[in-house]
Amino acid sequence: MNEIKKTYKNYVGGKYVRSESGKTFRIELKNDFYEVPLTSRKDIRDAVVAAKKGFNDWQKLTPYNKTQVLYRLSEMLEGNFETYQQILQDAGLTKAKASDDIHKALDSLIWYAGMADKWEQMTGNLNPVSGDFFNISHQEALGVVFTLNSNEQSLNKLLLNMLPALTTGCSVISFNEDNSILALKLAEDINNSDLPGGALNIMSGKFELLIDDVSNHVEITAMAIYKEITIKEKTIIRQNASKSLKRIFVNPPTSGLEALLPFIDTKTVWHPKGR
Amino acid sequence: MNNWEYAESVESTSIVNIEKKYGIFIDGKFQTANSKKFIKTVSPSTEELLSSVTVGNKNDINDAVESAKEGLKIWTKFSGTERAKYLFKLARLIQERSREFAVLESIDGGKPIKESRDFDLPQVAANFFYFAGWADKLELSWNTKGLKPYGIVGQIIPWNFPLLMLSWKVAPALATGNVVILKPAESTPLTALLFAELCQEVGLPPGVFNLVTGDGTTGAALVQHPDISKIAFTGSTAVGKYIQNETAERDIGLTLELGGKAANIVFNDAAIDQAVEGVVNGIFFNQGHVCCAGSRLVLQEDIHDEFVSKLEKRMQSLRLGNPLDKNTDIGAINSKDQLDKISKLVNEGIEEGGSIFQTECELPQNGFWFKPTLFTNAQPSYRIAREEIFGPVLTTLTFRTPEEAIEISNNTEYGLSAGIWTEKGSKILWVADRLQAGVIWANTFNKFDPSSPFGGYKESGFGREGGRHGLLSYLKVQ
Repeated sequence: MNEIKKTYKNYVGGKYVRSESGKTFRIELKNDFYEVPLTSRKDIRDAVVAAKKGFNDWQKLTPYNKTQVLYRLSEMLEGNFETYQQILQDAGLTKAKASDDIHKALDSLIWYAGMADKWEQMTGNLNPVSGDFFNISHQEALGVVFTLNSNEQSLNKLLLNMLPALTTGCSVISFNEDNSILALKLAEDINNSDLPGGALNIMSGKFELLIDDVSNHVEITAMAIYKEITIKEKTIIRQNASKSLKRIFVNPPTSGLEALLPFIDTKTVWHPKGR
Repeated sequence: MNNWEYAESVESTSIVNIEKKYGIFIDGKFQTANSKKFIKTVSPSTEELLSSVTVGNKNDINDAVESAKEGLKIWTKFSGTERAKYLFKLARLIQERSREFAVLESIDGGKPIKESRDFDLPQVAANFFYFAGWADKLELSWNTKGLKPYGIVGQIIPWNFPLLMLSWKVAPALATGNVVILKPAESTPLTALLFAELCQEVGLPPGVFNLVTGDGTTGAALVQHPDISKIAFTGSTAVGKYIQNETAERDIGLTLELGGKAANIVFNDAAIDQAVEGVVNGIFFNQGHVCCAGSRLVLQEDIHDEFVSKLEKRMQSLRLGNPLDKNTDIGAINSKDQLDKISKLVNEGIEEGGSIFQTECELPQNGFWFKPTLFTNAQPSYRIAREEIFGPVLTTLTFRTPEEAIEISNNTEYGLSAGIWTEKGSKILWVADRLQAGVIWANTFNKFDPSSPFGGYKESGFGREGGRHGLLSYLKVQ
């Protein structure tokens, strides 16, 4: 039988798109190879526009609603268990390891889904100031976050690289290299999970080609680097970031409350008490 | 007819003792620096020479780092409770010598004694008390054992609240188990030097607190030293960007408290007289040398005329003059450089088309002074409406709808603070949710407390100082 082979595309602003450049790069897996988009500078700029809108729409959902959307993503994922298993096996994992990884991914997703409506109770508080004032510190999502994901062939790692920022209400541009097939497959489940378009964008490419464009973009508020990169690359990123005081996080934690802390800003509001 | 003129009431300076020359504080004692370069520190209210302080160089920073390494060895062995005891003792000593510090601060920096005595010093002591108590509760603070001190922390502080900024930096750093190398501002080093004496007095182990005075070159040497694992800086956005760029090669912690151009929004349903008072306090407190100063008055159009007339009347009652006079509201501008900068921006405001109002008052013959100034008829594009002036200059912009007020207020690269004046509770919360600022004062302004986190959004920097959140600036997640 002549099989129909899927073309994987970037997922930006809730739509599947090719690179405007028309360029692709090849990912060879054990049994198959794919041509995936080689994201261009213009694609990044378009993604930021989409992510800005996505941030607006995602952030304004109630925390309860965010929890349900993330939970729905786990429902979608579970339904495609075998497809993920196949991709992971094709990427070199044993069947057992692949299955274990997907179970872990589902557990991570459940953990973060339940966190979306709780983290603020752990990060915010009243401050016992001297004097008759009501004084409260609470947290808000930073904005558009670019994540450079780990190259590891792991659905769990992939999710753990995007969920911390997403759970706080940030929109995410999730950038992938060697694990692009897995990531672009995940985009299909994201599309079915009721996340507002642009809240979570999945792209494939070579980061080294875009390092300046991403780190110079003033509307990307923060970058989280989950992949091992060289000192030279870190230096370039942080030098560019300094022009607009972009927040740069290299290997931030991926579990616990600590994982969310990089992606929030504290807002403190004072009001006098009186009659 | 009654004579309502104030009688002068000048605080005595006999309580302070200023040395002719100061060395640097390393290994728990004052030493002669490697650098033979000195800068003169003058009183901005009289231009009188106060003292000469060392301009620390690279070798001095190297020495400070070696001292800090030894200090860290000892400090790390102490339990949290032991660290707390030192900080509590420092807090007590500051309270005991509070008047001396206040007078010195006003002489060296030009701020009114009523502010250094009633605001700066009480806050300084409170900061040490507050963070002392955290030293043995760090695991409880964020419910995790995964937080560890950075080690050697470099701290660079500004001239607007010299000792208060020292306390904001030093207290949490020491409480969390770090050791400190502090570089005070070049125009206001004297209270930091006096603080070093207190560290000796409480027997703080040598090397835990190190002080290297100097200018920008000293700060740069501190920032560039490879063994510093955390930099905490308060100052201009331009220098903040320089620091992020300069440290790009290193995986270090950064806290940057930078500039601001805060909107103080007054709605037509505000308690007008209270709002006038708050707006005046928001911009003229400490001569407007405040990063979170409410320097943009964002006024609802239909109350513009009434509000401005009340504001001008209130401004006229501000007393400008000798910082050591207890009646003084507006002291001296901190330095000649700063005065020139303010004058330049104000002249540009006039050229661009703003209407200027300045209070009628006599400026002292010597020293650096600037009259309280209000601009009306300004456009959001004017430099006086966009750039941080860091002086007693308020620029008025008007709006019609709450949405427009938000847009004007957020239309800046800064995001440090903001003010909201309305009697309607739901409007306060609606506006507060939409303002991009780290600190929001509703129906009040310029309130500070050690337990209340302070710090900005956007290009006003990152990290928080104060409160439980301030601990995270000195603890890295493992």
